[in-house]
Amino acid sequence: MQVGIGTENDLLLKQKKKNLKRKRIDTWLLLLPTLAIFIFFFLLPLFFLFITSFKTFDPSSGIGNEWTLQNYIKFMSDPFYLGVVWRTVKIALITTLITIFISYPVAFQISKSRGRARNYFTLLVLSPLLISMVIRCYGWVILLSNNGVVNNTLLSLGWIDEPLTLLYTELSVVIGMVHVLFPYMVLSIMGSLEKIDPSVIRASQNLGASSFRTFFSIMLPLTLPGVFAGSVMVFSLSVSSFVTPAILGGPQVKVMSYLTYEQVAVMLNWPYGGAIGFLLILIASITIIAYSKILARSEKGVAIQ
Amino acid sequence: MSYLSLENVVKTFNKTEVVKKLSLEIHKGELVSFLGPSGCGKTTTLNMIAGFLEVDGGKIEVDGKPVHLLPPNKREMGMVFQNYALFPHMTVYENVAYGLKLRKVAKSEIKIRVQEALEMVRLSGYEKRYPKELSGGQQQRVSLARALVIKPKVLLLDEPLSNLDAKLRQEMREEIVDIQKKVGITTIFVTHDQEEALAISDRIAVMYEGRIEQVDTPAAIYNYPKTDFVSQFIGEVNHIQGKVLEAYSDKRCKMHFFGNEQIVAIQSVKDSEVHFFIRPEKVQISLGKSNESKEAFLSKVERKMFLGAKTRYILRANDQHLVADISNTVLNPNQIQEGNNVYTFWNPEDLLPSRMVR
Repeated sequence: MQVGIGTENDLLLKQKKKNLKRKRIDTWLLLLPTLAIFIFFFLLPLFFLFITSFKTFDPSSGIGNEWTLQNYIKFMSDPFYLGVVWRTVKIALITTLITIFISYPVAFQISKSRGRARNYFTLLVLSPLLISMVIRCYGWVILLSNNGVVNNTLLSLGWIDEPLTLLYTELSVVIGMVHVLFPYMVLSIMGSLEKIDPSVIRASQNLGASSFRTFFSIMLPLTLPGVFAGSVMVFSLSVSSFVTPAILGGPQVKVMSYLTYEQVAVMLNWPYGGAIGFLLILIASITIIAYSKILARSEKGVAIQ
Repeated sequence: MSYLSLENVVKTFNKTEVVKKLSLEIHKGELVSFLGPSGCGKTTTLNMIAGFLEVDGGKIEVDGKPVHLLPPNKREMGMVFQNYALFPHMTVYENVAYGLKLRKVAKSEIKIRVQEALEMVRLSGYEKRYPKELSGGQQQRVSLARALVIKPKVLLLDEPLSNLDAKLRQEMREEIVDIQKKVGITTIFVTHDQEEALAISDRIAVMYEGRIEQVDTPAAIYNYPKTDFVSQFIGEVNHIQGKVLEAYSDKRCKMHFFGNEQIVAIQSVKDSEVHFFIRPEKVQISLGKSNESKEAFLSKVERKMFLGAKTRYILRANDQHLVADISNTVLNPNQIQEGNNVYTFWNPEDLLPSRMVR
């Protein structure tokens, strides 16, 4: 009798272990394709690039054999390069701020609408993502160039005497960037707006708060996580964007990704290009971490939510 | 003198009237329940009183002043929501203090009043917790404190107990009534649970399809339902039909049902079919024919179900079913077996005549 129970327990235990093992294998199996792509086409090249960035430059083969810190030192000690870093971060921050301000009302309105109107609104917001980045940028070139639509209109209205320099400035880069990135912000804010229980808004009004007050005391704090997620996306996409600054900024508005491209594709200086690329990743990460720290401090309750 | 009055209030959604010319007078300090099945317009009516929905006709007055055109933040009504609706990014203290801050109450006074409110709902010491760290019952109590701390004119409760489990629900409803009586606040309690409504209300407004079917005390609603809907919705009923054998001039009829004759106080004409309701607990049975059961008829016990304090007998007589709930102290259930014939009777005044014309 005793023995019988013992073996039964053993069997049960074995089955449990088997089930657990099976579950683990299932998890890994589902992740495998993405994981493989991630490792072989992202982490590994990144790792090799990281190593390359500590090598010397050899004009004949590109990558030399010596180890050096010179690439980083050269970048950090040159005011021109530091200026490019500052410009990159500045453009990304301004882009992020502008997208927050123009996206919030849009997200608010869409999350309030229902049915067909909502679908059309969403499609409209997503439309910039449906057009090729290059074509969209050349659209802005037509609008902003010296004898483009904007300048011609202003001239013919007599508001200006000579064309404004709109293209190949930080302004044109920011405009192009906001245009392509604001859908991410809208979707992100919409997500957190929809999570708000409508009765919470009603409770606030019921307790005597005007719509204005309700927005700032209840809705805004509760949607900050969405604003944050959107900001991280927009910031990291704009700090590393290449096509938009290349077409709308050109050589006059050089940003980090453009420098990297120049070093790798034009000068064939792979080690230096690698170093610039790595500094870009570092700067983006630091900014995002700092941003999340500030946010966490200002809104404790949201984190608990 | 009524404190809160609804006068011919109408609400229309997409051309269908969901609240149809509803009128109701509620006295100061009274607890009135809106009771009805889902879709009867009870929550819609509550939302119109709170100001979340505009009225499409009629008017709402509080203390003699019309309020139906004011926005919700100007109506001074405290509301407790079904899902609590606490502000998730604020602590218990901040939640309760929110309404006071909006009223520009001095900080020192806010502190005292929040403390008092939390004491009232037995949650002192929870000030620094966030809503997510509280149980459902605790959240509902914070919600109650938040609504009452601003000393509203009317307290509105929108199915406040339906998200709680059965035991807690009973505790909470007693607590709500205690607090309501202590504060003496005029209260509207929306529920679809008839037991809840019967237990706590001063008066119940039974609603059906956008209309109030009957407003009365719980006992009157239960014992003297005025419409068919009320008699069927509140409590259980046996539905029986009989034929008028003779109609007398003094508004009484000799009726024939279950192969038996009985004189009932109703006005009808000879040979017409009349429908009645009778509550299972009003049906009585006995093994032998006694004095009080002289109008009894025989029926067969088809099923017997032991329900604790009472036993339910499913009876059959003359091809009609009849449910009888008999207290076990009145009749020992062991005396009666399935298949037995028993004498069945009731007091004629316990018959509720149907008003529906079929």
